[in-house]
Amino acid sequence: MGGTSGADSIQPVSLRRGMGLRRILILIILGAGLWAFIQLNLTPADLIPNPGGLQVAGKFFSRALSPALTYEAEFVPANTQPLLWKAIQAAGTTVVFAAAAMSLALVAGLILGFLASTAWWVGDPAGGRSATVVFLRRSVAPIIYGSTRVLITLMRSVHELLWAVLLLAAFGLSHLSAAVAIAIPFGGTLAKIFAEMIDEAPRDVAEAYRGSGASSTQVYLLGLLPRALPDMIAYAFYRFECALRSSAILGFFGYPTLGFFIAASFENLHYGEVWTYLYTLFFLVTVVDWWSGALRKRFAV
Amino acid sequence: MSHLELEIQSLYRQRPRNHFVIWSGALLLTLMISSWFIGDFHISDFLSERHLTNLSRFLGELVPHPMHDQPFSLTLTIGWVGELLWENGLAATGVTLAISVAAIVLAGSLGALFSLPAARNFMAPDPFVASLSESRQGWGLLWSAAMWGTRAFLIFARAIPEYLWAFLFLAILGPTAAPAVLALALHNLGILGKLGAEVVENTESSGLSALRGLGASRLQISLAGLFPLTFSRFLLFFFYRWETCVREATVLGMLGIVSLGYWIQDARARNHYDEMFFLVLLGAFLVLIGDLISALAREIVRRYS
Repeated sequence: MGGTSGADSIQPVSLRRGMGLRRILILIILGAGLWAFIQLNLTPADLIPNPGGLQVAGKFFSRALSPALTYEAEFVPANTQPLLWKAIQAAGTTVVFAAAAMSLALVAGLILGFLASTAWWVGDPAGGRSATVVFLRRSVAPIIYGSTRVLITLMRSVHELLWAVLLLAAFGLSHLSAAVAIAIPFGGTLAKIFAEMIDEAPRDVAEAYRGSGASSTQVYLLGLLPRALPDMIAYAFYRFECALRSSAILGFFGYPTLGFFIAASFENLHYGEVWTYLYTLFFLVTVVDWWSGALRKRFAV
Repeated sequence: MSHLELEIQSLYRQRPRNHFVIWSGALLLTLMISSWFIGDFHISDFLSERHLTNLSRFLGELVPHPMHDQPFSLTLTIGWVGELLWENGLAATGVTLAISVAAIVLAGSLGALFSLPAARNFMAPDPFVASLSESRQGWGLLWSAAMWGTRAFLIFARAIPEYLWAFLFLAILGPTAAPAVLALALHNLGILGKLGAEVVENTESSGLSALRGLGASRLQISLAGLFPLTFSRFLLFFFYRWETCVREATVLGMLGIVSLGYWIQDARARNHYDEMFFLVLLGAFLVLIGDLISALAREIVRRYS
């Protein structure tokens, strides 16, 4: 301390460091962006479509405000259902796929999330002071915890469409493989978030129960879990919204969800129909988005 | 009934309950259970004999092809991996990474911009000043119309999944990386714009209204007041969305853009499942690295801001 001059000790070091860090971060991010654009050979010219593309764009976007209400094809087989009914059906299938996937993901997420949390084997809620329990907590529990974490990471780091490709190759095209393809990465994500929510839930009730002599199971199930549950429900709703989008996209692989009809109509140049399906998807996602937003707002009490 | 029991009962009756949450949970549960009856899901699609032989054949084909007719050897494996990486694995990984970075930088800068007109307090007739009478005519009406317009755009941008945007842009822009970057950027712009608007709305506004009181314009308030106050929180969202960008950039290749997904699809079309599986693992590895960098960056932002 003796060596520093008076002027140095007056400088507001923390403020300067904060400013510097922000500037450095912005520069790093912009530099990374520049590297990416150079790496991809992207120039503003790439954003200007060629004449053919421009024509497609013009025709496509001109229908944005006039989505089709009936089929645009010149010949429609006599026993075809009306377009709007078909859009509703496709939306229904999208919901069914998403809901089935979510049910699998939730079961996996709850089990794996429990195993990947620390609350059941570290600290007070875990309880149990007998020699065997302590031994198990120190030996077996970390192994279970660690391997669950690895499993969760593996599940999450492969995208649902890639799981779909793998399952398609392994089992062939079936509706179940679509649901499972979404459920695997979603289960991993739910498990990760659930584990964090359980570990970060307020321990007040759990400690009160422990103090009044409740068993470990009672402390965990009645004291700890209910405190994390509202957050978990809200997050599950958010993931359901994501599942809807993924389920729609699986249509590109031949499943009868909204993506299938969007791709088919687009390839047949029936742009009005594309917008009908797009707005259906928009409506579906927005309702669930609003819902999960409202849920989260209720908890912020 | 004893006094204590009565007290417990009255406490029980006063317990916090939230009917909206309970009913929402019940609805989701009903939907999930009924989906199994409505949908066309059969466990036999996985466990029937035909599917199990298919599965075992598939698993057999995951063995790298140089080792199909001879026992496992490490040198052969390394040679096979090196060849795949060298042929297109590394280049495709680079492209995937570059697409995700270009998209998130685009989405981040535009999202920060769009978060202002989507924030209620910024678009109030008198920004960040709680006015006693909300003016609902003239300029006030115009500002709130602009806010709802921005919000509608952001909602639509994020409601449509990246893959779908990319499919549409691909038809318009042709098979360069541009449609992938644009699609990712648009979807994430919708998300970052909304999250940014929430950050702006939740910012402690006493300093900002003081600026306004001194006569600062909206631009001056946002540069001198909002930006430093909201930057680090916005950055957390930025890195969180970058993680998903890496994940999605891999997959967008399946539409015909030469990221990893393109070669995965290509290997599948040629029935080279060993190659396909290796590339999927390579993609997972890239996602893992991305998650790590993002977690690290977020930790730095959290600690030093």
